[in-house]
Amino acid sequence: MKRRISKNYIFFSLYVVLVLLTAFIGIRFVSVYFSDGSNQANQEIYDKYYVVISDDNQSSFWKSVYEGAYNYGLENNVYVEDLATGFSGDLSKEELMRIAIASNVDGILVSADDSKEMTALIDEAASKGIPVVTLYNDAPNSKRISYVGVGSYNIGTEYGRQALSVAKSIYAENPDEQINVVVLVDSVPSTDQMMVYSTLQESFEKDALSFRLNLDMVKIDTTNTFSVEENIRDVFLSEDVPDIIICLSELDTTCVYQAVVDYNQVGKVNILGYHDSVTILQGIERGIINSSIRIDTQQMGEYSVNALLEYDRAGFTNQYFTVDIDVINSYTVSAYMEDSANGK
Amino acid sequence: MANKYRDLPIQIKLTIVYIFASVLILIVNTSLLFGINSVLKRLESTYQENLDLNEIVVSLNDVQDSMTEYLNVKTTDALENYYISEENYRSKIESLDSVVSNAVNSRMERNIKYMSEEYLKEVSQTIEAKRGRNVEKYRMRYEKATQLYEYIGSYIDTLNNQQFAENSQNFVRLSKGLRTTERLSLAIMFAVIFINIFFILQSASQMTRPLKKLAKSANEVAKGNFDIPLTPPESRDEVGVVTSAFNQMVGSIRDYIDKIKESMEKERKHKETELMMETHLKDAQIKYLQAQINPHFLFNSLNAGAQLAMMEDADKTYEYIQNMAEFFRYNLKKADSIITLREEIELVDHYIFIINVRFSGDVKFEKEIDEKLVSASIPSMILQPIVENCVNHGIREMAGEGVILLKVFRIMDNICISIKDNGKGMSQEMIDRILNGTYRDDGLSMDSNGIGMDNVINRLRLFLGSDDVISISSEGENMGTEVRIYLPMNSDEDDYV
Repeated sequence: MKRRISKNYIFFSLYVVLVLLTAFIGIRFVSVYFSDGSNQANQEIYDKYYVVISDDNQSSFWKSVYEGAYNYGLENNVYVEDLATGFSGDLSKEELMRIAIASNVDGILVSADDSKEMTALIDEAASKGIPVVTLYNDAPNSKRISYVGVGSYNIGTEYGRQALSVAKSIYAENPDEQINVVVLVDSVPSTDQMMVYSTLQESFEKDALSFRLNLDMVKIDTTNTFSVEENIRDVFLSEDVPDIIICLSELDTTCVYQAVVDYNQVGKVNILGYHDSVTILQGIERGIINSSIRIDTQQMGEYSVNALLEYDRAGFTNQYFTVDIDVINSYTVSAYMEDSANGK
Repeated sequence: MANKYRDLPIQIKLTIVYIFASVLILIVNTSLLFGINSVLKRLESTYQENLDLNEIVVSLNDVQDSMTEYLNVKTTDALENYYISEENYRSKIESLDSVVSNAVNSRMERNIKYMSEEYLKEVSQTIEAKRGRNVEKYRMRYEKATQLYEYIGSYIDTLNNQQFAENSQNFVRLSKGLRTTERLSLAIMFAVIFINIFFILQSASQMTRPLKKLAKSANEVAKGNFDIPLTPPESRDEVGVVTSAFNQMVGSIRDYIDKIKESMEKERKHKETELMMETHLKDAQIKYLQAQINPHFLFNSLNAGAQLAMMEDADKTYEYIQNMAEFFRYNLKKADSIITLREEIELVDHYIFIINVRFSGDVKFEKEIDEKLVSASIPSMILQPIVENCVNHGIREMAGEGVILLKVFRIMDNICISIKDNGKGMSQEMIDRILNGTYRDDGLSMDSNGIGMDNVINRLRLFLGSDDVISISSEGENMGTEVRIYLPMNSDEDDYV
């Protein structure tokens, strides 16, 4: 009798528990199923909001710079955004500057230029209390608080060293021939590009082989979206294809690399590239690109955000930051390949 | 709690079970419906953000249009429109996010908000300049405002597209989820209903189990088996009441049966005692008689008397005494043992002789005996008491010569001994009373040798193991009586034959 009662009791409790459990699991499932989609829960709020305005936010160079800035920003409770990604249309740097100013952001990182318009916009931002840091390309006459660049002199010297070593091996094979070296610059060369060019010229003049070297600059129209590629092809279609081509941007390097392959000039044209995108690294690995100058893009991003933070904190900061450069050649490429594979 | 539940009436128990099951289903159903409802609500509000953004765009266009109109025509209507639309737009952008977060939409909202504020500022300055008729200034400001207007529009478009894409994804996910939820709900409902059915079945069986037991017990009792184990009532509901009543009933019946058995036993014992007493009485009588006369002494004395009569040449006396001696010797020797029919007949002969001397030859004794049958076994002292009865009751009270006819003959496999007198006869009632043993002699008559008819009949019946051993018939008043004894022929007689 006693046992029966307890048995019934257990059965009854089991029944209630079973039914409620079934219902609970069902309801729980439904609520969990629909709550995972909302990002309301893991939303984080940041103190400051900086925007990056770059030349080309699709290039790996600028992506890498942005990544550096973004990660460094997160560490300091700052959200750094690549402003151009927010728009479906293609906006110019100036338009993006206006938007940034109107949006009342806390700081602007811009790849500027020496133009009047850009200088005026930077000044406008400064007048509204928005600090501007120029990145990679400076606007020296503006009221920017700081410039984070690569040191054109260093780059020029490095290119000179690379070019001379290539020239010497060409000379060793054909001592009678003139060696044509061209530098690809923008249609309106920036101060930096001119600096690189003159440093290069200087180092050539100092060298014993200078009598065989012809240095020239080829202007590439960067105003139009596809003009770079067309302009570079023109170089290869001319009668006198240069022996050494020095590229000062990632896009130039990639286009030259492709053109060398397309026009069957592998081994005849030596490419001294710029930056370390996967394509460029592959080019070096295959021996088509001789070497490339790599800028520590992450560092560039970090320095620029740091400049803004420092300005915020102290009211002033360094006028000038130089980021490190490396040379990537066939001996060192594998290490960089690994890094890029690991996502560094 | 379980005990209280058990003691409730069945109706309430059933009601509780059904209400409980229904309430559980209701709860589960309601919560599932609630879940589905919340999904539906979300589904409905999926594109709400887009609608809000579109409203903002409309409002923004209003501001731009009213400003342009005012710049064009400078009417008070246009100015009023501008104020209204400006207010409207301001209130709309108020709801936008203004924090910097990692959610792209919220950052866009923030930027749209700030840009809108900038834009409104620019627009109001344009209007101011227009009022001040500063053409150069308001044209410049107008251009700037228009540029911002375009940026905002572009920004909102982007945000709208982005949210639309997100919301479409959400919509697909939600509608899929809705279907999943429906299926899940169905599954849960089935599961719960299944569990419920199980529960109801279990409760019903629990309620009816004692009833089944009771029915089984009742069946047993109906078959007459009262020795069933009684199950105590499990609860105090109707079944429990019926069970305890049944148990009580069975108990009462058992008691009643026991009482009847007891009283029957008592009665039997009573009868036994009575019988014993009778036997003892008889025994006492015999003992008394035996104590009075030592048969040996009597027998020897009679022999001496016979010798004396012979010496005196009193032949008749001698014969008489001789017969007396034989009669007593027989009594002495053969009492209560099995003897042959022949010896029995001899005894009757002696008796008749003695009677005839006593009553001076009134009784005529005739015999028709099949000599082949006289060696059959028979208890002693059977025929003589019957003949004595014939003499005492049949013949002595009649006038004229009494005749007793003794016949021994064979009927089928039986030996029939017939003793017939021509006396006063017997009524049928008397015959019946003698045969079923309710007739009693009022004490032993002085002329009797002490053995009554009922004794004879009982001994015969015991000896032959059957009731149909003796028949008495009388054809009526003064037509005499015939007593017939039927002895079955056994193999001895057959051999003898």
